[in-house]
Amino acid sequence: MTTRILHILILGCFLICSGRIYAQDTFNRNWDGQKIKGVRHIAYPTYTGFPFLTDGWVPGQIEFNNGEIADSLYLRYSAFKDELLYYNKLLGSQIVIDKVSISGFSFKGPDGIPRIFRKQYYDGYMKGDRFFEILSKGETDLLAYRKRNLTTTMPYKDEQQILKDQEYTNSYQYYFYSPGKGYSLVRPNLNAFLDVFNEADQKSVKKLIRRNRVRITDEASLLQAWKIVEGGGFKILLR
Amino acid sequence: MKKISLIILFLTSLWLPGNTQQKSFYGLYTDRDIYVSGETLLAKIFLPEGISSSIVCLDLMNMNGTRITGGSLSIHNNEAEGYLLLPDSLSTGTYLVRTYQKHNASRIKTIREIWISSRFDGLEKISQIKRIIAPNSIQDKETTQITITGIQPEYKTNSSIEANISIDESLLKELDGNLLVSVAQTEQTFNPVSFQIENNQSNDGIIEKKGIIISGTITDKKTLQPEPNITVCLTIPDSIPGFQYYTTRKDGRFYFLLDQYYGSVQAVVQCFANNPNQRLNMKLDELYADPGTLPGFKLQPISEDFKTNITRNISAGTFRKVFGQETLVYSSPPKVIRDSYPYYGKATKTVDPQLFIELPNFTEVARELLPGVKFRNYNDEPSLQVLNNATHSYFEDNPLILIDGIPVRDLNIIKGMGSADIDRVDICQNERFYGDMRFPGVVAIYSTKADYSMLAESSQLARLTLETIQLETKLAEPSNTEPNIPDLRQLLYWNPTTRPNQNMALKCRTSTIEGQFKIQVRGKLKDGTILFSEKNFEVK
Repeated sequence: MTTRILHILILGCFLICSGRIYAQDTFNRNWDGQKIKGVRHIAYPTYTGFPFLTDGWVPGQIEFNNGEIADSLYLRYSAFKDELLYYNKLLGSQIVIDKVSISGFSFKGPDGIPRIFRKQYYDGYMKGDRFFEILSKGETDLLAYRKRNLTTTMPYKDEQQILKDQEYTNSYQYYFYSPGKGYSLVRPNLNAFLDVFNEADQKSVKKLIRRNRVRITDEASLLQAWKIVEGGGFKILLR
Repeated sequence: MKKISLIILFLTSLWLPGNTQQKSFYGLYTDRDIYVSGETLLAKIFLPEGISSSIVCLDLMNMNGTRITGGSLSIHNNEAEGYLLLPDSLSTGTYLVRTYQKHNASRIKTIREIWISSRFDGLEKISQIKRIIAPNSIQDKETTQITITGIQPEYKTNSSIEANISIDESLLKELDGNLLVSVAQTEQTFNPVSFQIENNQSNDGIIEKKGIIISGTITDKKTLQPEPNITVCLTIPDSIPGFQYYTTRKDGRFYFLLDQYYGSVQAVVQCFANNPNQRLNMKLDELYADPGTLPGFKLQPISEDFKTNITRNISAGTFRKVFGQETLVYSSPPKVIRDSYPYYGKATKTVDPQLFIELPNFTEVARELLPGVKFRNYNDEPSLQVLNNATHSYFEDNPLILIDGIPVRDLNIIKGMGSADIDRVDICQNERFYGDMRFPGVVAIYSTKADYSMLAESSQLARLTLETIQLETKLAEPSNTEPNIPDLRQLLYWNPTTRPNQNMALKCRTSTIEGQFKIQVRGKLKDGTILFSEKNFEVK
């Protein structure tokens, strides 16, 4: 008897759900959403090193200029060209999304923490729109420009035994940024970090960092130090 | 067995709420009841709770149910305000203003009767007028909890009116949304009927949650069966053309959303067969609701007062037209963030053929002026190829060809275009993608005429003029700059978005129009009931 009741229940639920699924199935996916615009990605030349930020395609989302979000996309950020690629399953194509059409993108890192990139105009050397990763958001943001350059190196032979003399190298740049005030470049070392503060504050900032036993040597420690100093109420001297 | 019955009952109860149709009520109110052709009708719509659509339609129909004009209004907090420009060509008679939402238009509509007099003929020959016999007319509830004080029984022309509207504190808590406050000329012998058409048998369509939806069906011309996998395109020609596409599914249906357009918009909808021999038939769904079954009419004699007022209104309406006295001030459309370049991408090269020597046809134009574009017309079979900048070779497939932003596949359309016909040509020499569409290069031709006359209407191409979302408006202030020009306003005050307060001051001025006027305050309660309070006065 109990099995019979269970069967009826399951059948009933199935009938109810199937109706709803069918109702949604009438429309194409994302039919009323903004469409992604771009050009076909042309493979970069192979050298030692890697031009992309992530090893493979990562599921993520993009934000269009009007704030609309397109999600469930396979994304890959090219740190070499500062451009965002997505994989169009239907067309089987790797597409470089028009930078001008989006305001940012995000995806989850291997540790599950979301990585958020924002398109901003950079007014320093090599002016233009750049994708910055937001490391810390507040009155003053700490941003990372994940740049990978093609640099000349000692001649070497690649897998196909072709002689090459270039490689992809990291050239990450970190900036403090405040809207309306601009950018201030910071390198992940103590002196450079102190340099972005007022001379009057530098001693107190140094003390605060030491008290918290932080040694600024890399991105993680730079971020840690900034969070401590920001919590202490110190302001960045943006120039 | 009992248990099984109980379970079935439980499942049925689960199923039912999704299908039961909630009783809805649309309150439709116009600024006046009597108009002259060429005037503007203002309307306020109170919508029921739980509306998921963002659009409500406002139409004008004649007594036969033929739609004359209309608009789509944006809903804010279950309310909408809009206007109808009454055509000058209307003949004298009773007309119907109706409101509905497209998704349930076949199920529910609210209709209001109005009188429109033609500006070009009077009522001399008319002794009777047709009036509606509405079996279920909507009766609003007059309340004493809204009091209008400070109104005198008589005012002089061009004098100021100051009134106070008081709302009972207990009613304030019950009111939902804004009030409609208006001061307008009234005709006491013409009490219009407002009624609702309900049909519980009909099913709901697609809800316009984000904006206006254009839909239709593609069928095969031979088999008459719905055709899947057909690409249907909607283009809104402009300096930066708007473009949408939809690939039909098994049912052959297609949908387009127009959420960022305001006012009247020209659009082209077209479908493309997957093979050259296939012929398709594109049928667009009705953009407006059908009239449904309208109630009957009865003849009613007209009074001499009515005739006199109409004659005076016709003169006033004509004068206002002559002196260009506008009823409304239109707001600028909300700022829409649109891309600064067309959907087909930034042009690699833009060529203006007018700057060069005149060339007779597109073969010559392409050869002489368009870099990386190969147009051949051997044996009257034209072909077009674009150079791929990335690979430095020509694309094998035909590029996306556009005339004034509208995609075309038949190259015969462009082969005769000489440099005199072309304003500019945008060329994209790369492989572009737009959603799931791939363009092996783009040649976008913008014609000098820009009237899309080269694209003939067919079963696969339809040109439409769409009434998209109405712009927000407010009542124009009377102009005091020229004292010699008479102020002929029949509507003295109109504020459909008055925030309810315990005490509200109302200030306006009478015009040179004499006669009976009415001050009205209307509001909706949380349970959907519409309340009103009104007071009459005379302008002498």
